[in-house]
Amino acid sequence: MKKTHTLALYSDPDEAANALKDLKSSGISGFRMDDVIIKSPIDHPELSELLGPRPVYIQWFTLLGVLLGPTTGLVLIASAQASFIYQVRGGRPVVPFPPDMVLTYELFILSGVLMTVLSTFVAMKLPGNRSPLYNASVSEDKIGILVKTDPASLPQINEILGRHKPLEIMGDNAR
Amino acid sequence: MSHTVPSHPQMDVQIERKFVPKQKDLGEDVNWAQINKDVLRSLEKPRPAFWIIFFSALALFSFGVYCEVYQYQTGMGVSDLNNPQVWGLYIATFIFWIGMGHSGTLLSALLHIIHADWRKPIYRYSEAMTTFTLMTAALFVLVHMGRLWQFYYVVAYPNERWVWPNFTSPLVWDATAIGTYLTSSLLFLYMGMIPDLAICRDNAKGARRALYKFLSLGWQGTDRQWGNFKVAYMTMACFLMPLAVSVHSIVSTDFAVSQNPGWHVTSFPPYFVLGALYSGCSGIITLFIVLRYVFRFEAYMTQPILNKLIKMTFAIAMVWTYLDLIEYATTWYGSDEVARQDLVYRATGDYALQFWGMIFCAMVMPFTLLIRFVRQNYVVLLIISLILNVGMWLERFQIITPTFAKSHYPWTWTAGWWPSWVQWGIVAGSFGWFTMLFMLYCKIFPSVSMYEVKEMVHEQNMHDKLHGAQAPAHQTALGAIPEMNGGKI
Amino acid sequence: MSLSNLIKNWSNFRTRRPYEGQYDDSPYKWAMVIDLDSCIGCNACTVACYAENNLPVVGKERFGKGHAMHWIRIERYWGEGETLETEFPERGAQYLPMLCQQCEAAPCEPVCPVGATHHSPDGLNTQVYNRCVGSRYCSANCPYKVRYFNWWNYPERAWPNPLELQLNPDVTVRSKGVMEKCTFCMQRLRAGMDKAKTDGRILADGEVVTACAQACPTSAITFGNLADKNSKVAKMWKTQQVDLAKNVQEKTEDGIRGYRILEDLNTYPSIVYLERLRNMAS
Repeated sequence: MKKTHTLALYSDPDEAANALKDLKSSGISGFRMDDVIIKSPIDHPELSELLGPRPVYIQWFTLLGVLLGPTTGLVLIASAQASFIYQVRGGRPVVPFPPDMVLTYELFILSGVLMTVLSTFVAMKLPGNRSPLYNASVSEDKIGILVKTDPASLPQINEILGRHKPLEIMGDNAR
Repeated sequence: MSHTVPSHPQMDVQIERKFVPKQKDLGEDVNWAQINKDVLRSLEKPRPAFWIIFFSALALFSFGVYCEVYQYQTGMGVSDLNNPQVWGLYIATFIFWIGMGHSGTLLSALLHIIHADWRKPIYRYSEAMTTFTLMTAALFVLVHMGRLWQFYYVVAYPNERWVWPNFTSPLVWDATAIGTYLTSSLLFLYMGMIPDLAICRDNAKGARRALYKFLSLGWQGTDRQWGNFKVAYMTMACFLMPLAVSVHSIVSTDFAVSQNPGWHVTSFPPYFVLGALYSGCSGIITLFIVLRYVFRFEAYMTQPILNKLIKMTFAIAMVWTYLDLIEYATTWYGSDEVARQDLVYRATGDYALQFWGMIFCAMVMPFTLLIRFVRQNYVVLLIISLILNVGMWLERFQIITPTFAKSHYPWTWTAGWWPSWVQWGIVAGSFGWFTMLFMLYCKIFPSVSMYEVKEMVHEQNMHDKLHGAQAPAHQTALGAIPEMNGGKI
Repeated sequence: MSLSNLIKNWSNFRTRRPYEGQYDDSPYKWAMVIDLDSCIGCNACTVACYAENNLPVVGKERFGKGHAMHWIRIERYWGEGETLETEFPERGAQYLPMLCQQCEAAPCEPVCPVGATHHSPDGLNTQVYNRCVGSRYCSANCPYKVRYFNWWNYPERAWPNPLELQLNPDVTVRSKGVMEKCTFCMQRLRAGMDKAKTDGRILADGEVVTACAQACPTSAITFGNLADKNSKVAKMWKTQQVDLAKNVQEKTEDGIRGYRILEDLNTYPSIVYLERLRNMAS
């Protein structure tokens, strides 16, 4: 069934929190908290909590990066030192550990950072502009609650959202 | 000046409680919409000083380019570098710029990890400073090269002849470390900027809107985005702090790994890191004052924040002073006669003026920061922060030049070597290049983090809601702050 | 594959040099002995080097700026307390020909970012002009300061037509921006070693000498193969009790003059200098 969207804008985080609590306890058929998205100018952990667990997996990719990056890097560096025309420099061993450790350390950081950034973009679904409803004021000072719902339960949801002094409630056609 | 509050009804009415409220970093009249307005205004119409700074920087840069083209075409000889003096100002200024680049990202990351909120209005431009100083420093690596057109030999790229750079060379460590640092701090800067770019996108028109739309990647501030963003940002901060420390230690190995007197010093890595932090902090203060004036950021770059910054600069200056003195002390106390003579030569020889200039500018001048008048007078503070950086530049100069002038081998002892105008021109050009890039950045991108200042305001409001509103901002523990702008914070 | 190469030759890659008997299996290890007592400071070695190795004459002004390219230079020293006579400044000077010491553990080698300088199997410190990017780190780290940088495009002015015809065709003319230094007349050694290899033998002692050694009127410079125990150089090193792989030499006999310059920096140079004898009575 085709879903429809509604976006309510609040200026007070407490009102938004109350709206979310009401939505949670409303028991509307076909409605799940996973369909609710908060859009806000800053992070509101106290509001996100109300949405239930939304886990973050970035750290595991970071771990992968910091494990794979330096090991492959060290092997590449050491084999590059060995494979090029056999060069002795300054009497040091051809594959010396201290310099290789320095470079491995840098690769450790670099791969960690790159993996973090890449996985973050994947997790945040960026780049992309897939969200159906957006209002510029959520980047200024308003908190938006976006609900994806069946057209049938839309009036009920709008009623709940309207209970807590929203500045505006917008539907799909508002675009 | 103490401030009294009405005592609690249950308490003895006779007891007068001394109320010492915490001085707030931001004023009371800052709200979220105002933040957007103020910061976005900085992208549009700055004070005329902006154009003066920008065009004089452009002129300096053009002169630097002229010098570099002349040197490129004629040969390195025009710089008057010679056999013992092979590095001269290029490497000294390279170290200087790398050092300048340290405070921005390092402090931003450190203060983020320990949740020091006062970092929020000033971290963005500090990180931008890091990025552009690193770019300037990278320029010096190229300028200094005898065969600039073969610069890619230093990069480890796969090729059919299996020729690699020499991984044992500190210069390759440098290239790797700076590359890593530039990449990471650029990503850190960019990552932290995405929510602000979305704000710009929502408010801009025309070509600028297209630019911000492209750069903000479609950020909408959803809870999922914020949740991931916070984790990623903290993770990156945790990577960047050790990275920044490692980068300048690696730069110090350019010297510490070699066997020249005055360079072969065990304490060089921490000494360099602290020197970098020191000059970076003074750089942040300089730009703080400049941006505050040019972009009218008086409401965000406030006296309490500046005060914290100054305290930190002073503390770092003292650690640096200690490390510098301990380096001389160990050299003096040790049995390496060549190093000791080199030390004596530094203090009394041809470059004694630079040596004592460094001592004065970088060791004595920080004590002026203890005077309240200096901390609160922006013009004086601007001059002092510049003097501190002159001191740090002299420090780099007197690390490099005297060591070459009086090295191990007596026949190569030279007296009174002095760089030519080409070197000075390129050094001046680098300052132009940095200022130009930085000013352009501040004109195109928000140089105060909007969403994080909003967080600050939000937290202040929450705090007030929980504990009741405290003393008005202009009446605080330090008394009425004699502010420059008519008492406005 | 490179990884299997790495595993197969692991112990070789992890060896520190120089070590005792490093050149026992190698046919060549080029080395030199310079007798300072014989040196009269005539600069013939320098002139020979200029002619042999296509060194540019830079002119008075650039020389004064320290841009000279003399791979071998005659240094003058006066003893402590001696005053410099202005009329005959050379009087009382002691001479020391200084050229690249071809160190076994050369400080210049590990610091080059592109690997333009490294150690050859016959014990020479090589410089690859094509690879050099001119970072000058090698020169900064050379304690003897015997590396010379092409500060200018010397070929432009050094050999005006028709002087370019006198250039040695066996030696590269270096462009601006690269580092160069004494090669122990690599081109002569290379030609000699190739010829000997064709004949199935190794070079005889004295068959190939460097230009400076050849030109020295007092035979102060002795050049030869240290790996050949019977060569003149090897015998001199032995008599002077200088061991290539040691940084502190044990001298058991009196009157031994051999030393290596700045040995305490652990550079293990390949050139032994014989101290000048002074008439103490005068």
